[in-house]
Amino acid sequence: MNRFDKALFFSVIAILLIGLATLYSASSRYDSQNVILRQLSWIFLGGVLFCIVLRVNYQRLGSISYLLYGISIFFLILVLFFGKARGGAHRWISLGVFNFQPSELAKITLVLALSSYIGKRKNEVTQVRFLFGVLCLVLPAFFLILIEPDLGTALLLIPITLAVLFAAGAKLRHLIGITSLGLCGLPFFWHFLKDYQKQRLIVFINPNIDPLGSGYTIIQSKIAVGSGGLLGKGWLSGTQNQLNFLPERHTDFIFSVVGEEWGFLGAFILILLYATIAYRGTKIIEATPDINGKLIATGFVTLFALQVLINIGMTIGFLPIVGLTLPLISYGGSSLITTLTYIGILLNIGMRRPLF
Amino acid sequence: MRNRIFTRVILFFFAVLTLGLFYTQVLQRDVYEKLSEKNRVRVLPLEAPRGKIYDRKGRLLVNNRISFDVEVIFQEIKDVEGVIDLLSDIAYVDRQVLSLRIEKARRRPFIPVKIIEDIEKHKAIQIEEIALEVPGVIVTTRPLRNYIYKNSLSRITGYLGKISEEELDKYRTYGYRMRDFVGKDGIERSYNDYLRGVDGGLQVEVDSRGRELCILAIKEPQSGRDLHLSIDIELQKFCDSLLAEKRGAIVAMDPQTGAILAITSHPDFDPNIFVKRNNSKNVTALLNNSTTYPMLNRAISGLYPPGSVFKIIIASAALNEGCFDNKRTLTCEGSIMVGNRRFRCWREKGHGVISINEGIKASCNVFFYQLGILVGPDGISRYAFRFGFGKPTGIDIPGEANGFVPTPAWKRKNLRQPWFKGETANYAIGQGYLLVTPIQVVRAVAAIANGGKLVHPFVVERIEDVRLQHAGPRSMGLKKETLTIVKEALRDVVNARRGTGLYARSKDTVISGKTGTAQNPKGTSHAWFTGFAPFENPRLSIVVFIEHGGKGGLDPARFAKNIIEEAKRLELL
Repeated sequence: MNRFDKALFFSVIAILLIGLATLYSASSRYDSQNVILRQLSWIFLGGVLFCIVLRVNYQRLGSISYLLYGISIFFLILVLFFGKARGGAHRWISLGVFNFQPSELAKITLVLALSSYIGKRKNEVTQVRFLFGVLCLVLPAFFLILIEPDLGTALLLIPITLAVLFAAGAKLRHLIGITSLGLCGLPFFWHFLKDYQKQRLIVFINPNIDPLGSGYTIIQSKIAVGSGGLLGKGWLSGTQNQLNFLPERHTDFIFSVVGEEWGFLGAFILILLYATIAYRGTKIIEATPDINGKLIATGFVTLFALQVLINIGMTIGFLPIVGLTLPLISYGGSSLITTLTYIGILLNIGMRRPLF
Repeated sequence: MRNRIFTRVILFFFAVLTLGLFYTQVLQRDVYEKLSEKNRVRVLPLEAPRGKIYDRKGRLLVNNRISFDVEVIFQEIKDVEGVIDLLSDIAYVDRQVLSLRIEKARRRPFIPVKIIEDIEKHKAIQIEEIALEVPGVIVTTRPLRNYIYKNSLSRITGYLGKISEEELDKYRTYGYRMRDFVGKDGIERSYNDYLRGVDGGLQVEVDSRGRELCILAIKEPQSGRDLHLSIDIELQKFCDSLLAEKRGAIVAMDPQTGAILAITSHPDFDPNIFVKRNNSKNVTALLNNSTTYPMLNRAISGLYPPGSVFKIIIASAALNEGCFDNKRTLTCEGSIMVGNRRFRCWREKGHGVISINEGIKASCNVFFYQLGILVGPDGISRYAFRFGFGKPTGIDIPGEANGFVPTPAWKRKNLRQPWFKGETANYAIGQGYLLVTPIQVVRAVAAIANGGKLVHPFVVERIEDVRLQHAGPRSMGLKKETLTIVKEALRDVVNARRGTGLYARSKDTVISGKTGTAQNPKGTSHAWFTGFAPFENPRLSIVVFIEHGGKGGLDPARFAKNIIEEAKRLELL
């Protein structure tokens, strides 16, 4: 076990603890006990999966990665027809006590499938024809998530794919080509957005257009984070949080609670912990000679880092609001369990690297 | 190599994020701190109730009552249909109207939006009780102006309306806010600064729903100052009942001081209509009524030819200028040639050889044609101005009209025509270009009654305990003799045989006055009566004007008598 990355592991534990404390504060005006209990049970469930993937050699995942990806696609189709609508989006499948979000599963399985596909064809990676193959693999998940609609998660798949291709050694000009092609398609893309998504992009540029409607969340979030100052207002004392000015504060906007109550110092420590995980992740990538493991790790590290960056970026108004959770902290089973699972796989990759 | 780039890119972004946080939380902290305080601490304005209004005997005329309003916070509503069901059941508001208003609230989902205004108290309590289980619905209260006598005092009180943008720009420094209600007419407008209180405020910590969690500080509102009017509400109501459906105006005034006891103009309106916020349909209907002009205060803003009432001024002018005296006579043969036109008397047979007393008593037109020509148009105009015509009386109700007194010079300048002799004859019986308001007429007759002084009419006597110093009466500089002759003649109009004001004769007191029947291009003549009582030391002067009311000697004279008798009964004489 000496190759088990302790720094990464303890950062995860620390973030989980910070998350629970923050969640307690965010829900203290109503049922905080219940919220904490549920979150704990998901941490437990995620912990179990974490232990399982830690023990099973990740290389065995390669053989079933397409199957897993297929299952995710199946669920993504299912969610369109049987999904629970919330705010106009069909993202959840109700499983009794627990609303399962197939797009979360799709994120991991796509990384697995992608790594497996590219890993086996490493020599072709410089060919344009090959890139089309990759595109065919990614597009079903991308479009299915897009039409849920879940713009944030869908867009997240693009940089992940690019990062994996980059790590596999794809030509830079190919990657730049794909990116610019995507950028050219943006105006065309605008027409496919739902009204509320357009609103979000508009208020990202100027939240004061509609301060009590679609601009409300971003304004209140910025106020919360900004008023936290250097040291914060103290746990359970954030007025934006406690007085209910902050919407979605136990899910997507939980970072605002951290910022308000624990100030820049607390937020900085939290970012440091996240950065530690990302950094240790890149060390695992560097140290892994197995191409498949390397690509999987790259995908997961990108996924993790991007989600943290985008989520925090949107709470301070640096990025538009997209429905992305803050890994390991936001309330919700799907996000927590998948995050713990892929971090388990990441640690597993780090442990299985051969000794020289 | 690529691994390194990857690592650096990721760490770079984390560093950028940290800088962003540093910027927001450390550099911009003060900005957000203030905004956060603004969120948390809300100053709830405590609307100061406007000052109350009392009549001369301390009877309450205008006060404030509590209005219960229903508001919704869209974000909190779980079941829109349920809310509509609830409110339409209890408040009897149309479902479609409700769903439309809730739809409007959707645009501002986080703040309370008013959807029903001013519901009955028991319904408000009912909704409030149920609202505990129906999130998103709240009941709020605010003071609302209450005009107890509804239409009756509309001419005096005026009405309230939302502050306009120009008014706001002008008065912002005095603490006026948007959505404030200010007086738009009447004494609500002219005494707005006194009636308006100083709004207080409650500094409360609120949550996002605006629910008050605890009070941080309080500033008590100071209610506005009470006004005490010279109006007697009983007499006022009596005047209203006389005019009823007729169009016209009545003013009753103390001739010695100018204190108005009653002032009414019909058709009138209910000032309570303007108080409600969602009542624009009724308000526009009222404001745009161009058949009866209910918003026109005929008593002070209506312009009419005075007709024979103006003979008081002609007689005074002739006597005072020495063109005529008590002993001289003029002859009426039923008509007279002026220039090349024949001017008729209202009595075809004529009045024969008559003195000035008889001329006034019989309201002989031929007598006054001749008298007017003796005085001349410039002389008539000069005396018209002396009696206060052609400019506002300065009553403390806004919107007074100037009236119009023509002069030959005016005609030359504006119509580019010389003044004809026939016009002088017409002028002498109160016809032609001359236009007056009822309040000007009552002031003129009061000047005869009080010994030649022009008073300044007013309705507000005191503000709380402070008696207002209205400008005192001003002497017109008429000879005592002139006044005596005219005053006695006015007495005889009502009390002597063959007087035109017969219908105003009263057993209770000696009423003096003058009738008027003013021809106008729009149809039936306007009917006037103006007078005073008692003869010695008069306490009440009065004008009754009825638009297209026919002869002044009929309804107006009778009404004047009724009012004066009522005033005596009310111990105002």
